[in-house]
Amino acid sequence: MIQEVRVTAKEGIPDSKGEEVLYEINQALVIKSVEKVRTARVFRFEGIPGEQAVALAEKLLAEDIFECFSVNKPVFSDAPFVLEVAYKPGVMNPEAASLLKSASDLGICGLVAADSAWQYAFYGQRISQADIKRIINSLLVNATVEYVVKESPATLVIKGTPGRTGVVPVRGMSDDELQEISRDKLFLNLQEMKVIQNHFNALGRDPTDCEIEIIAQTWSEHCGHKTFKARLIVDGKEKRPLLKRLRDTTEQIGHPLVLSAFVDNSGVLEFYDGMAICGKVETHNSPSAIEPYGGAMTGSGGVFRDIAGTGLGAKVIASTDMFCFAPPDLPEENIPPGCLHPHYLLRRVVAGVRDYGNRMGIPTNNGSVHFHRDFRAKPSVIVGAYGILPALSCQKGQPEPGDLVIAMGGRTGRDGIHGATFSSGEMTDRTIDVNASAVQIGHPIEEKRMFDAILAARNAGLIKAITDCGAGGFASAVGEMGSETGARIALDRVPLKYPGLAPWEILLSESQERMVLAVAPEHAGRLFEICRGYNVEATILGEFTGDGHFSATYEDREVMRLEMEFLHNGLPQRVMKAAWKKPILPEPENEPVSDWPGLYQKVLSQLNVCSKEPIVRLYDHGVQGTSALPPYTGVNWDGPNDAVILTPLLGKPYGMVIAHGLNPVLNQIDPYFGSLWAAAEAVSNAVAAGADHREMALIDNFIWPFPDEELLGALDLAVDACVDFSSSTGMPFISGKDSLSSTYRGKDGTIIRIPPVLCVSAFGRVQDVNLTVSTDFKKAGSQIVLVGFRNIAEMAGSVYYQIQGYTGNNLPRVNPSLLNEVFTVVHKAAASGILQACHDISEGGLAAALAEMCFGGGLGAKIAVPGSEQADHFFFNETAGCFLVELPPGSDPGLIFGQVPCVKIGETTSAREISADQSGDVLFTLSIDDLKQAWQRPMKEVFR
Amino acid sequence: MKKPRVCVLRTDGINCDEETFYAFEKAGAACSMVHVNQLRSGEEKLSSYQILALPGGFSYGDDVHSGKILAVELTSYLKDQLSAFVDSGKLIIGICNGFQVLVRTGLLPDRKLGEITTTLMVNDSSHFECRWINLLVEHTNCVFTKNLEGTVISVQVAHGEGKFYTDRDTLQEIENRGQVVFRYIGPDHSPTVLYPANPNGSLNALAGLCDTTGRIMGMMPHPERYVEKTHHPNWRKMPANNVPHGFAIFKNAVAYAREM
Repeated sequence: MIQEVRVTAKEGIPDSKGEEVLYEINQALVIKSVEKVRTARVFRFEGIPGEQAVALAEKLLAEDIFECFSVNKPVFSDAPFVLEVAYKPGVMNPEAASLLKSASDLGICGLVAADSAWQYAFYGQRISQADIKRIINSLLVNATVEYVVKESPATLVIKGTPGRTGVVPVRGMSDDELQEISRDKLFLNLQEMKVIQNHFNALGRDPTDCEIEIIAQTWSEHCGHKTFKARLIVDGKEKRPLLKRLRDTTEQIGHPLVLSAFVDNSGVLEFYDGMAICGKVETHNSPSAIEPYGGAMTGSGGVFRDIAGTGLGAKVIASTDMFCFAPPDLPEENIPPGCLHPHYLLRRVVAGVRDYGNRMGIPTNNGSVHFHRDFRAKPSVIVGAYGILPALSCQKGQPEPGDLVIAMGGRTGRDGIHGATFSSGEMTDRTIDVNASAVQIGHPIEEKRMFDAILAARNAGLIKAITDCGAGGFASAVGEMGSETGARIALDRVPLKYPGLAPWEILLSESQERMVLAVAPEHAGRLFEICRGYNVEATILGEFTGDGHFSATYEDREVMRLEMEFLHNGLPQRVMKAAWKKPILPEPENEPVSDWPGLYQKVLSQLNVCSKEPIVRLYDHGVQGTSALPPYTGVNWDGPNDAVILTPLLGKPYGMVIAHGLNPVLNQIDPYFGSLWAAAEAVSNAVAAGADHREMALIDNFIWPFPDEELLGALDLAVDACVDFSSSTGMPFISGKDSLSSTYRGKDGTIIRIPPVLCVSAFGRVQDVNLTVSTDFKKAGSQIVLVGFRNIAEMAGSVYYQIQGYTGNNLPRVNPSLLNEVFTVVHKAAASGILQACHDISEGGLAAALAEMCFGGGLGAKIAVPGSEQADHFFFNETAGCFLVELPPGSDPGLIFGQVPCVKIGETTSAREISADQSGDVLFTLSIDDLKQAWQRPMKEVFR
Repeated sequence: MKKPRVCVLRTDGINCDEETFYAFEKAGAACSMVHVNQLRSGEEKLSSYQILALPGGFSYGDDVHSGKILAVELTSYLKDQLSAFVDSGKLIIGICNGFQVLVRTGLLPDRKLGEITTTLMVNDSSHFECRWINLLVEHTNCVFTKNLEGTVISVQVAHGEGKFYTDRDTLQEIENRGQVVFRYIGPDHSPTVLYPANPNGSLNALAGLCDTTGRIMGMMPHPERYVEKTHHPNWRKMPANNVPHGFAIFKNAVAYAREM
């Protein structure tokens, strides 16, 4: 039987989780009938008698100082509503393993399974069933991974018998039938399906389900990047494929610091002291839209593994997160059916990034959140990771015939498998509950110890090649690694979370926290020793062969045998048409400003401008002891910086800089100049901190609505912008990712497209962090100087226009070759040590940059607006590549910045206010504290 | 000069080990990364070290309670080694998760393995918090804060379960015996229970604690994250000769261990 232990806080001890839930119920759900919430942990143990459950409760589960427990009886007797929420069977509960470990450490044997859950008691006389239903559905339970426990399970052990390997008779299929099976689960077009049909006609046999699944996987948009590799016909003329354009440009630049571009799991740059740094940025939009917590967690976990799987293995040293959501205060009725509310999404995605990064001990210290109502159906969730490794280890070795295929880390379950062909008939009553396509709750500790073991194995010289198991699981990991040689694996050797997986499921499972290594046979023993030392499971799945085939067996029967050549090069190139039409958008009236204080505060409290500090405080951004420029500095530690700078080699002055830029709204007006803006913003952020753009590289992330002819035209222009920016600044793109499915189609025919997102990330090296700059003003009486090229009439897409309800057409047109000069002089000034503070101009314009510099410095500013310029445009224009700098009194901006436009616009003051006049007329005098309050309020309301 | 040996204890989920290692090495110690499995198997012995450092992180995911699973492991398998280590007058420092482990083994506050009299609970804010805060260093016999008594130091906190809690009598005893090493202070430099200066709502603003001998210390904030000038967010505003506040703690430990 199952022993149940319930643990709760003693009377009088604050129940902070209960209070948190109560706050959400009262605030987010606006249900006032609930007056108090109490919570309890529920622990279940199978295979031990009651007295041992009591022993566990006393020694492990409940701390007598503040907790009490009950065994096999309820802990809340006085509440009108009590409910328990648990993970669905088959969704891995990370805590279970710890319970088993501690039990055996305490000498309690016979325990066969353990599980844990949360119990909630709701107090209040007026609570209705409807209230509880809403609390369950919109707050406590995500039906994808969790359920309300109505009665205690009879067993915690998941049983099941594996399904057989079936044959898919494609040879005899008509075009309709081919399209039919494709629609169900393969998502290939007819042309591609016929290529598969012909291939197997030639072989004189039909494919197994393993074979058809792995082909579909390898040829999917996700893995195959068919759009980026397609032949493009733009406005009737053929252009180079998008991917080729980016890669050719990087080759032409031939940057001396680039050690590896596009070929590995991340892009690699030379650092100092024989070390190299690498970066990768991923998107995780679809999972995060369904299950934001698990989706964000597995997004982080996946991009961390991309770093760990770079070269012969890298150490992850930073994590970044860029999100696009609908406004958190969007009325419930505006949320399309089947979509989650942005307030919930935002909080849960942040929680996922927090819990994965913090537990891994990876500082999350650069990021941003953008808001636009067209993200209400599908958010964009972008997660990046950066690493360091010896330069000599940054190239993968080539597996040779006889080398072993070794799987490392977590066990394999049904996580992430599309459930289409998953039949519950083959299983026991228990496994019927198993969610075939469970979004996995990540297990950061599993990944952390695996990474520790990987670095130890790398340092011991045991790894020939390594890659992570992401999309496509073993299928793509082993398939890619063995593409030159061939590989043969035994699927029945794969350690499983629970029995019952069919061979194709084992092959395709996307369970997290797994890596695949190529290891020479003589090194296997030492590798297993290391893994044991770190409590990491490692298994020999098979070996690399010389036969050019990818084959797999299950219980000694061959279930798959495919030519690598066909798998990787059999996919026909697509031909796609593209044509973008420039929209004509309404323009606001150009009226003089009547209420400066109100306007200034409105801009600062606009969601894309307001402080995101409450989010950053949830992330451990100091772990690893590498911080040299944190996200926030200043007298109250609340002035935001443009970039982050780390010293990954402890004790050395060498810095790694990380920054990024994106502005989806601009892409709606003009994807070419919108994308130029994003790249300019990314680099400006790093340069503002003192970095040299000639020692940096770029990463692209295109998150697009489904690319019909029009949007493919937009994508074509965005890629051209990247290419032009890259070639005129000499900064190469060395890694990238496209995700082209952010269109929502409702049953009623509603179509919602996100504003096209190009997120450009920039990273590189800094010789000496002592010569870097923060944004906070340092002294009163300094000169405030505006540096850079801008035409302030280019106001379209600005926050100033948006708060008036407009977008406009005349957007900032950044000139990348002029930017080159600006970056050079600003960096030179920083390196000379004369810049006291520097902040680049972006959303919110000069006004926002100036205010943030004042917030950090605890100082004010007195501004004189040039008589020739329109004051509102002067303050709110958002041209990227412009900088506000603080210079000592007396220094000559002209000498420092040479040919680049620079104008002294005012001085810092000890009076905590921002005042401005123009040609002798006073425009306004505003209190720093009022402005700061307006700027900090919005996120404080979402994250209390 | 003789370098004291420091055992930096690692296990699944410990993640502040490398910066702790670096802080001690910079202070003149010779450190080894030791996995708890190596102590269990006998491959490594605590007796070969003068200082035991329990770094921050999320040992075993902080499942059940923060640091609990590791505490149970230590008290189950290393009880004798630990007692011998403590009785021979050697030093133990627990930072963040390490502090949570020390409290849950019973080594703090009373050096009684298996007797848990205090705890570190979920922050009053109920969420993880990473920010710089100011600490008052109390006058104690704590080896790690020698010559720092009465000063104010800035350090970073990064935790979700740092609220020190115990019953009134135990708290009074801890105060009477002068075992409180650090307190969170507000803008006026007096101890505070108010968020965010006190990030977790600890009783008596307690941020760090030592045993009565002053040789076992645990603290929630991270001194190892301020051993370089550039670690402080506002180093650009500080005089070039400013001394990183966290470094003295490691130097004191090393200096004391040299005399063993």
